[in-house]
Amino acid sequence: MDSLRHLVDGFGIALQPLNVLLALAGVGIGTFVGMLPGIGPINAIAILIPVTFAIGVPPESALILLVGIYYGSQYGNSISTILLNVPGTASAVVTAIDGHAMTRAGRAGPALAASAIASFVGGTFSIFGLVLFAPVLAEWAIRFGPAEYFALMVFAFSALSSFASGSVVRALASTGFGLWLATVGLDPNSAIPRYTFGRIELLDGMDFVVVTIGLFAVSEVLQLLEDTGAGRSATALTGKVMISAKELASTGWTMVRGGVIGFIVGVLPGAGGTIASFLAYSTEERVAGASGRFGEGDIRGVAAPEAANNASVNGALIPLLTLGVPGSGTTAVLLGALLGLGITPGPLLLEEQPDLFWGLAASMYVGNAFLLLLNLPLVGFFVRALTIPRWILIPGVAALAFVAVYAVAGSSFDLVLMTLFGVVGYVMRKFSFPLAPVVLGLVLGPLMEKNLRRAMALSGGDWGVLFDSPIAITLWLLAIASLAAPLALAKLSPRHDAELPTTREET
Amino acid sequence: MIGGLLVITGAALALEATTFDVAFMTDPVGPKALPLLVAAMFVAGGTVALVRPRSDVTLPSTEVLARMGCAVVAFLVYAAALPWLGFFLSTTLVVTALSVLYRGPLLHSSAAAALLAGGLWLLFVRLLSLPLPIGELWIR
Repeated sequence: MDSLRHLVDGFGIALQPLNVLLALAGVGIGTFVGMLPGIGPINAIAILIPVTFAIGVPPESALILLVGIYYGSQYGNSISTILLNVPGTASAVVTAIDGHAMTRAGRAGPALAASAIASFVGGTFSIFGLVLFAPVLAEWAIRFGPAEYFALMVFAFSALSSFASGSVVRALASTGFGLWLATVGLDPNSAIPRYTFGRIELLDGMDFVVVTIGLFAVSEVLQLLEDTGAGRSATALTGKVMISAKELASTGWTMVRGGVIGFIVGVLPGAGGTIASFLAYSTEERVAGASGRFGEGDIRGVAAPEAANNASVNGALIPLLTLGVPGSGTTAVLLGALLGLGITPGPLLLEEQPDLFWGLAASMYVGNAFLLLLNLPLVGFFVRALTIPRWILIPGVAALAFVAVYAVAGSSFDLVLMTLFGVVGYVMRKFSFPLAPVVLGLVLGPLMEKNLRRAMALSGGDWGVLFDSPIAITLWLLAIASLAAPLALAKLSPRHDAELPTTREET
Repeated sequence: MIGGLLVITGAALALEATTFDVAFMTDPVGPKALPLLVAAMFVAGGTVALVRPRSDVTLPSTEVLARMGCAVVAFLVYAAALPWLGFFLSTTLVVTALSVLYRGPLLHSSAAAALLAGGLWLLFVRLLSLPLPIGELWIR
């Protein structure tokens, strides 16, 4: 099998000492940062991008580090969810139900262990899926022309908008904001300045690191000022982080099912970890039937969403790497980082830079093993880290954000811009405009415009070319369907969106 | 209110977009297409927000708003002070200010801030050799 041979080569790259070290550092940093309340994966990646640029390692090593941070932070997030009942992202909300119930019953140890093992199983399963399906999709996507790419991006936007919490129109307005930011600067075709307000600094366009850190990290710093409480203290961890073999065996199939569901949902643009974990949880609830004690601390209620969540992370890498079109805010940030490293993801990536793709896939096996090895013994340390008072933690995060922004651009102007985006991000959160579509719009905007204009240039100005091929038509139909689906569902069923706990939207 | 703001912004964006004229077209669409689409999305979002406003928005108390204002001012002062005062001092000051806004004790806050600024300096300048400003004040 061709993929298998490539994967063996990939292990040759992933097992180089530097790359092993970076995978370890990535999952370690990711776990730590993802665990801190209110930071989450998207901030972790955005803040650490300048660092990865600066350490001067080859692109595949930088990518191994960034992706390690990505899936490490997903796991870290579940630590604070289980112990403190503060899900940092929407995807961890389901884990909180049974995970925190187990903590209250004094069974935090088994819950954490189940979460670590489920993450590992879900992760490894889905890497297998990645290795299997990415080459197929890439081969198929080689036939994509500019019109198909344009339609694909429209689909990515509408899918993310329809899955975003709250109203579709608000999400579309957020997307519009991101696209507008993408147009700022010199137009690449005609070289006329657009929306630069006469500032030289804006001719180059908006840097996505500045926008992302402003919108997410700075607005978080402002938002947390609202929370006047001194912060919740971590529940003391009683007993060892152990799980009995019997308990573990009872979750075996749960993890496998969660992994498969998570992977499939993860591949779809827009859906991501939130839908994956909800779906896995409700599936298990149905499978368990009367034997389940879901909601009161059933260990399967932890294993299912955790496996699904980690699997969806790997699934989401497929469209990112083979099509060059991310389906979520976090993968959009990853795309920005890849472009900054001189890597252009797309159907040709596998052919032109096989080392990069297969090295990454292999390193994810390594990283997932590290995740398991690190987290079982280190949970006690992580719990202590959760007790850092907020007045040290949050200003520290702010300082890191400053340095990161200054390091990309080296100008005070970008710090002002970042602050501005912080205020905008805060107001957007207040009025329930989702933030992830902004980043997606900003990163995809230039690609979208380039493909639109290329398609139109090829057709000589005939808009019909956008709806000419079967692939393009299918993508347009999918885009329309994904926008119409939530509206139709809202009409059919009584309103019940109040039952979801409010969390920071982050996909 | 936010809806009205959006509609007005959308209109302004569209108005600005019509000025993107180029002497000769390099492609049939030109630089106007995407900005006009964006303007339409703004107007659509704004109209919906106007017609169906969110009723559950709770604004924070004046006291919290004041602290947020202080934080924003601290960020802006930092941006202005950084090239002049240098990384270490301005970072220490802004982190202290933020800590106090988060109700940290003043003395502890400034100690933690200085440690943090020093640590970041070592990490970025020494370890990663990313330049951070020393401060014009000290060079002269």
